[in-house]
Amino acid sequence: MFQPKQMSKLLIVASKQQLDPVITELYHQNIFHIDDFVEKGDEQWEGFKIGMPMTGADTISSNLVKIRSIASAFGIGSDQVEDSEKARIQELKRSIEQDLPAIAEEVEKLLSKRSKLEATAKEYEQKIEALRPFIEAPFPMELLRGYDAISCIGGTVKSQPTINVPHEIWEKPLKTGMFIVIAVRNTDLSAVEKSLLDLQLQKVTIPEETGYAPAIIADYEQKIAGIKQEIEALNAQMAVIRDKHKYFLMSSEELLTADIEQAEAPLRFATTDLAFSVVGWVPTEQVTKVYENLDRVCAGKVYVTELEIEDRNDGPPVEYNNPDFSHPAELFMDLYSRPKYTEVDPTLLMSIVYPLMFGLILGDVAYGLILLAMSFGLRSMVKGNEAGNQLMDILRNCSISSIIFGVIFSEFLGFSLPWAPLWFSRHISIGVAAGAEHHASAIPQLLVVSIWIGILHITLARIWGALNASRMDHGHHRSLKMYANIGWILVMWGIIVLIWSKFPIMLMPDLTQMPELAGGLNVATIAGAVMLVLGVAFIARENALDLMEIPTIISNVLSYTRLIAVGLSSVAIAMVTNFIAIGLIINPQLENLTPIGIILIIVGVVVFLIGHAGNTALGILGGGIHPLRLHYVEFFTKFYRGGGKKYNPFGMIRRLTELKE
Amino acid sequence: MAAEAVAVEVAAAAASAAGLKAVGAGLAVGLAGVGSGLGEMGIGAAAMGAVAENKDMFGLALLFTVLPETIVIFGLVVALLLMFQ
Repeated sequence: MFQPKQMSKLLIVASKQQLDPVITELYHQNIFHIDDFVEKGDEQWEGFKIGMPMTGADTISSNLVKIRSIASAFGIGSDQVEDSEKARIQELKRSIEQDLPAIAEEVEKLLSKRSKLEATAKEYEQKIEALRPFIEAPFPMELLRGYDAISCIGGTVKSQPTINVPHEIWEKPLKTGMFIVIAVRNTDLSAVEKSLLDLQLQKVTIPEETGYAPAIIADYEQKIAGIKQEIEALNAQMAVIRDKHKYFLMSSEELLTADIEQAEAPLRFATTDLAFSVVGWVPTEQVTKVYENLDRVCAGKVYVTELEIEDRNDGPPVEYNNPDFSHPAELFMDLYSRPKYTEVDPTLLMSIVYPLMFGLILGDVAYGLILLAMSFGLRSMVKGNEAGNQLMDILRNCSISSIIFGVIFSEFLGFSLPWAPLWFSRHISIGVAAGAEHHASAIPQLLVVSIWIGILHITLARIWGALNASRMDHGHHRSLKMYANIGWILVMWGIIVLIWSKFPIMLMPDLTQMPELAGGLNVATIAGAVMLVLGVAFIARENALDLMEIPTIISNVLSYTRLIAVGLSSVAIAMVTNFIAIGLIINPQLENLTPIGIILIIVGVVVFLIGHAGNTALGILGGGIHPLRLHYVEFFTKFYRGGGKKYNPFGMIRRLTELKE
Repeated sequence: MAAEAVAVEVAAAAASAAGLKAVGAGLAVGLAGVGSGLGEMGIGAAAMGAVAENKDMFGLALLFTVLPETIVIFGLVVALLLMFQ
């Protein structure tokens, strides 16, 4: 808890004859995180070289490339295939050898045919585009070329050109400027072009076609339609092939991926001519399993030993070690950065506090129910996507918390539930609520509660900061850092005690009545001042520049008031929506029903729905982003370092193929 | 007569005080919102660029983008205190 899974560093050494069984067994177990071997010229690893892929790797990878290219042409992914049955590996291997070349050839033929057709269609479209300016021309296209002494220029110009040499011109006005075709003697060509360039001539090439432009365009369009039909037919043909081979393609993709990963594993090992060695990480609780199984498959001809971990901070890969209900919050941790091996992993706390904060902000039974329905409804959309599922789990937890806070605050779409708020009321006097029974709101109290949350949250963060320093830093720096964190706590609490000793604040201890000491200062004032000074000294010892940050203590704590402020804004929007829809539009009409009144009532209902839909969306955004920000900015910056390596074991979870041959 | 006039005057003064409070609350939220918006404008644009380059930056980008948001929250809190205390 609050710690990643404990890892052990293992060294495996064996002769090269054992390479195959060792790799197969490790891949099968799917728990060994390989540390890639790098040739650095270490003395310790002298004589070792990076290994070569196993024989057959090139055939496997060429088959895999074939399958993947077919799959991408068809747009199939493994999540589109049902995993109700598992393919037998022997059969699959046989059909990869026998059927795959034929399928690949067929698909390639169809694909190349299709791309050829598409290219032709594109070409025709370009020709149509080139002909478009000539649609209204009163001459066939062949008249524009084929002369010895005359040239034609076509293009757009800004305004009417004046040309002083013998010429013939056809103009068509455009939205800006005009399109012209001019025929001039070759001897005058350059002079005319020059004068046209002054009018910003943009030349077009004159299409080499025969006949009037509209007729040619119609002809091309017909051809394109024909090509499109052919493409459709090809697509239908491909869809048939796709459905027929979908399962085969995806299951063999899985099989070959597993094969290629194993065949290329020696690239991550250190090898000599006769032996190999590999270093990697295994969760400590599973070390004996690795020992026993490797011993079994190699009949004892393998040496496995546990190594000393040199760099505890950066060495081991990090795998979360949380109770099940905390898994969704790992999404937020990975979004920020995975914790380092030695540091405090705050996932568990976040998985509890985040939904609570969300509920405190939204706190409405109806919105909670809508979000709960959404979290179940959208689940089919994120099928097979781990992050999506985690997000839905978070949404579910948050909506349950919103419902609970809704019951406490007695809120339902901004209306009051039949009971008075069980805790401080957030009801504000807007519109309908103003007239009806109204519970006096206790907003200042709620703000103080949120400040309390901030004080405790930040104090915990600083305690963890000291803990992290004690675990991760060394020597003199370590104690300085620990004291600095304690210093921050002292400064914060010193300021708080000072404030308490001067001003009585509701829901907080009143220290103004403490016995006075010298000069009108009471005990608490002096204690607070001492804490402040001591804290400042601790911080300054680590880094005097950090003292600049002291004002952020106050802004960070006050930042937690957003929990109430954002929540109140959503309450206000809900109440205003109710007031406009019901108080201003529906109720006056209900008193005196007329045909127009009924339309207005419908309008009122629409306003009601749109207002609450918008408020739900804002509720997700506000309720989701603000607690996240409080964690990332106010909480994590005090202690969290992050940057841990992800634990990525060698192996795969087979979905479509059988485990063993 | 005199007493009535005084009562009317007192009521008018109270109403104008309440009105000024509401104006102050509105200004607090509105101006703070403008400030936050100005702050987030540049950060948001840069953050989008960073995320487009490297998806892993998302968490950090979000963090930086919402940093100035505290300002508007303070505005909101001041407004709430004005209206409800």
